[in-house]
Parts: sequence; C-alpha cells; structure tokens
Amino acid sequence: MVRLKHFRFYFGVLISLVVMLFLSLGGGPWGAERSIGHWTGALFQNVCHQNPERSLLFSGVPMAVNSRCFGVFSGLLAGWLLIPALTRLTSKKPWELWLLLLAVIVQIIDYTGNLFQLWENTNMSRTVLGLFLGMAASMAVFRLFKPINKKITDHG
Amino acid sequence: MDEITEKQDPKYSFSDYWPSIGIVGAIFSLITFVGGLFFGYQQINSEPSGSFLSPFMISSGVLCLVSSIAGLIAVWHFTREVSPVLKLGQGAVIGFLTGAVIVVVSVLLSELWILLVDPEYNEKMLESVIANFEAMDMPQSTKDDMIDAMAESIESQQSIFRQIFIGIPITGLINLVTALIGVAIFAEKKQNDF
Repeated sequence: MVRLKHFRFYFGVLISLVVMLFLSLGGGPWGAERSIGHWTGALFQNVCHQNPERSLLFSGVPMAVNSRCFGVFSGLLAGWLLIPALTRLTSKKPWELWLLLLAVIVQIIDYTGNLFQLWENTNMSRTVLGLFLGMAASMAVFRLFKPINKKITDHG
Repeated sequence: MDEITEKQDPKYSFSDYWPSIGIVGAIFSLITFVGGLFFGYQQINSEPSGSFLSPFMISSGVLCLVSSIAGLIAVWHFTREVSPVLKLGQGAVIGFLTGAVIVVVSVLLSELWILLVDPEYNEKMLESVIANFEAMDMPQSTKDDMIDAMAESIESQQSIFRQIFIGIPITGLINLVTALIGVAIFAEKKQNDF
C-alpha cells in the first residue's frame, strides 16, 4: 500500500474539516433553539450572512451557515476524502484547476442571475453549487499529496 | 550541492513569511473593512425594501468570498517576492496566518471606526436591518426569530478579544485551503513531484 505524501498534514486538515462541518450544523446538535447568538453561530459570523431563511435546518434549527456555505464545507470534506483515490490518477494535464475555475464561474453566474432577478435560486440549488465549489477546491490540491514513485530495489 | 539541497528542502524563518502575510492580510482587511462600511452605510441610508438581497446581505456574501482568496494571493506574493520553492506546510502556515491577520486588523479597524468616527454605527445598522426584516413577506414568527437573532448577534460583538478569538479558526482554515491551491498553482514543482 502506497502512503500519501504529507500524510500527517492530510490527516490534520481532514480532522479540521470534519470539526468545521460539524460546528456549521449550528445550535441544533447542542439542543439550542437558534444558531445565531449561539457560540457555533458566532464562529461563522465573519464568513457567512447566516440568514435563517436561506439556511438548511438541523433538528428543526437553522444551521450556523447558509445553504451555500454548508454546501461548500461539505464539498471541501468530500473532495478531501477523494484525494487518496485521485493520487492514483496518472493524467499530467491540470484538469483539476479547470474544474475549479468552472466551479467558480458557475457560482458567479448563479449569484449574479439571482441578484439581477433573472432567476431565483433555492436552498437546494445553493447547496449543490456550493458542494461543487468545495469539492473542486479540495480536489485542486491532490497532486501535492501524490506519493513519489520510486523503483523498489531492495526488500529490506 | 548546498544550493540543490536548499532548493529541494527550503527552510524559511518567520521574517521570510511575514511580508506576504502582513501585506496581503492588511490589504484584504482594508478591502473587507471599506467594503463593509460602503455596504453598511448603503443599508443604513436605504429605505426598507423587504428584499433578501439588501446591501447588508450582498456585502456578507461578496466580502466573505473576497477574503477567502487571501491565502492564495499571499502564496502568490511569497513565490514572487521571496522564493518560488514552497512546501505544502509552509503554504498552509502562510494561509492560516493571513486569515488571522485579516480577522485581527478588520476587528481593530471596525472598533476604531466606532470609537472615533461613528459611535452609533452598530445601532443604526441594527435598526435598518430590523426595518428590512419587518418589510419582508414572511410569517411574523419567522421575522421575530430573525430580528432576535440579529440583535443578539450584533450585541454579542462587544468584546474585541472574543471577536478575534472566535473569528480566527474558521477564517484561518478557509485561507489555509486556498493557500494550498496557491501552492498547487504558483510554487515551483520538483521533477518527481508530479
């Protein structure tokens, strides 16, 4: 079995992403009635508008982040989990960076279309697009974890 | 020989990282602070429309996205100004600390603004956001919840240290991830890395 390069770093970030995703569920898992005003909500107030109407519910309580941010955080974790599998790919073309660019462009189009009232996005569409962006962001770094190919010359 | 070893396994001191972290962190703090004020005063001076897409909501989304790419830009700055060779962990340190600088400087600038320029900024902002919520087409109970939550959120921002302590982990982690993307894009690759 080939071990990932920078395995400890990979594992540390993986734990951080799991903790971040869990905390983004907000006050629900902690038995609170709200997420804004709860300490989990305070953690995310710099990075998200936390509008309860635009947030998914967990245990009947709006999460600490809106649906798009929750999608991004979920996608970051999902993409990070895919890294070990992606390191087995042999393609030398930087497709992952094009994928990230595409994900960013799709976000901009969705945000702009909604802003100018060309269409109205929903919690589901924001979550899915956020998931796409988060996954693309994590996958963009998979080559940094690719094990160095060495010819095994001894059995020691 | 030494030069080759140095290039393959670069070691930098904090003073090597600091210019990229400090400059990019300060620039992005200023952008988020000025952008926040711009949208904030637009919100304060606008009539309550009842729209979700108020200046306050737009600024939250846009400024968050802008500040999250600071890690990537800091790594780009480092590879241009210090060394093109950068390891994964070193990029991560730059990203996380850039996020931390953004939080610290933004909080300090906001506190200074309230202390020296407009002591009633938070109150005016709260009143405006509540007025906008009141004008929204939704059940009264939902409105009340949103207003209570918003009031609690703004009132809970009283302590500078609390804002800094609670703001750094998430902003730092997000910038760490974008800094890794920066390493993937801008750092010099060794032959056997890819």
